[in-house]
Amino acid sequence: MVISVVSGKGGAGKTSLAVAIAETFRAEFYDLDVDAPNAEHFLRPEIEQTRAVLQAVPVFAAERCNACGTCTRVCRFHALYKILNSVYLTESLCHSCGLCKLACPEQAISYQDIEIGRIRSGKSELTGQQVHIGDLNIGSTRETYLIETMTRELNSSALCIIDGPPGNSCAAVAAIKPADLVILVAEPTPFGMHDMAQTEQILARLNKKYLIIANKAQDTALVSRIFQARPKQPALIIDLDERYHRANLAGAILSREFPALRQQLSATISPELNSL
Amino acid sequence: MIRQIAVLSGKGGAGKTSITAALIKMMKTVIAVDADVNASNLPILLPHQRQATFPYYGMDIANIQDEKCIGCGRCLAACHFAAIQQTPAGHYRISADCEGCGACAFVCPAEAVVMIRRNSGSWYVSSLPNGTMIHADLTPGEDNSGKLITEIRRKAAEVAKDQHISYIVIDGPPGTSCQAISAMTGTDVVLAVVEESLSGLSDYRRLAELIHKFSIPHYVLINKAGFSQQIDYDIVQTAAHFNGKVAGRIAFNKDIPAALQNLQTLADLDIYRDFFNQVLKQLLFDP
Repeated sequence: MVISVVSGKGGAGKTSLAVAIAETFRAEFYDLDVDAPNAEHFLRPEIEQTRAVLQAVPVFAAERCNACGTCTRVCRFHALYKILNSVYLTESLCHSCGLCKLACPEQAISYQDIEIGRIRSGKSELTGQQVHIGDLNIGSTRETYLIETMTRELNSSALCIIDGPPGNSCAAVAAIKPADLVILVAEPTPFGMHDMAQTEQILARLNKKYLIIANKAQDTALVSRIFQARPKQPALIIDLDERYHRANLAGAILSREFPALRQQLSATISPELNSL
Repeated sequence: MIRQIAVLSGKGGAGKTSITAALIKMMKTVIAVDADVNASNLPILLPHQRQATFPYYGMDIANIQDEKCIGCGRCLAACHFAAIQQTPAGHYRISADCEGCGACAFVCPAEAVVMIRRNSGSWYVSSLPNGTMIHADLTPGEDNSGKLITEIRRKAAEVAKDQHISYIVIDGPPGTSCQAISAMTGTDVVLAVVEESLSGLSDYRRLAELIHKFSIPHYVLINKAGFSQQIDYDIVQTAAHFNGKVAGRIAFNKDIPAALQNLQTLADLDIYRDFFNQVLKQLLFDP
């Protein structure tokens, strides 16, 4: 069973709630916010294994390439360019689609693996379960591929929590796709509500079961008013509380520090899990 | 010369947009760009008038014409994205996973695959009291945000030139991946907004390394400050290591979220005006 914790707006509290849920339910954890992975500051896993994630990109055999320019013309991502008699790759634009290799009349193109990031895994004493951290190499643009590599390996016989990337891009979609249940963390502010509505469009399109946690609420009455016109009401409202902020910034897990919050998370999510 | 300033953060929710909006409000004239195209919040804070709307077309996507398809399956073999499925009736269908590379169209011997244009959102030119804002809404879940960011930044440069405005301020997306790279490429200075927390520090380390790779000078604004001397110290050390300078600190203050709730920026709160003037001076004039 897979729960993805996501939010359109960054800083809504995805990671702090995802680790609190993982700690409450003793779940396996996947940090798929691969270009800003932070769950390890809270879960503190003992890393036992580090694996490189590879993706193939084109390389050009100089002795075969006659610089005809076919590959540069067929590439729709504009990832290839020719200077004098050589072809070059802009790796950040390449989607590894293989078309240049198919199109090359001289069979001068082959594909070679490059490292785009790493997956680090190990057990957290705080959850008693495995934690997997996606770590995108700095400067790489292939976050979606890294996320998809990790979701293919999900241990769906256990309860798994995914900490997704912020935003509503293709990377967020990749982190939502494998979920049986999505927890949408929304800040009940003008920014947060705008970004939440966009995430809800993705969830509707993917036909996902989800519940909303309104986090960092400044005033409960205000939250009810803000959500009045929305199709879905929050299942749980968590206050903007300086104590939570203090715990978070130092890497403490909210469910361990605040038993009442743990109780609320458990009461909100357990029925959903049982109904799946 | 037009000077381009990108505001980035690594960690989401560090305060990028509220700080960008405050800086923009303090400027005499400016071109604002909201490069966080799939969570576009700058227009929420900055009163503006929309002047023009443009459609955004991402990558073309493949479409298979059944009447021409001979069922050979070569497209299926050529697709690296598993975006082609065969229906029980034997037809081939393109799914939402299509990245628009055109490999299927290339290998199809029957010319049954056509690449069709797909609308992936809109972008806008809006007027501000002190300039122009270029912003966009990418259709939620769409790919190709980098291409859209490049497109709106090109427009911003064009407008700046036409209107003789010297500064472009870009509100960037969180993270350090393709969108952040598109927002920062070719800028003159980056302002990194760093939340004083372990997560903020860790994400800033990644961001600082990325900024350094691009050889862009950068400043750091430490936000929600005042809880941990250790983390503050580590942020300052990281900045020094990557040639960044600390532009200032904003202490944790519950009045800020309250002001944002009412669509006020920090520039509307008197106590922050001098501070933002100082930050702005560094960003605009320091080489």
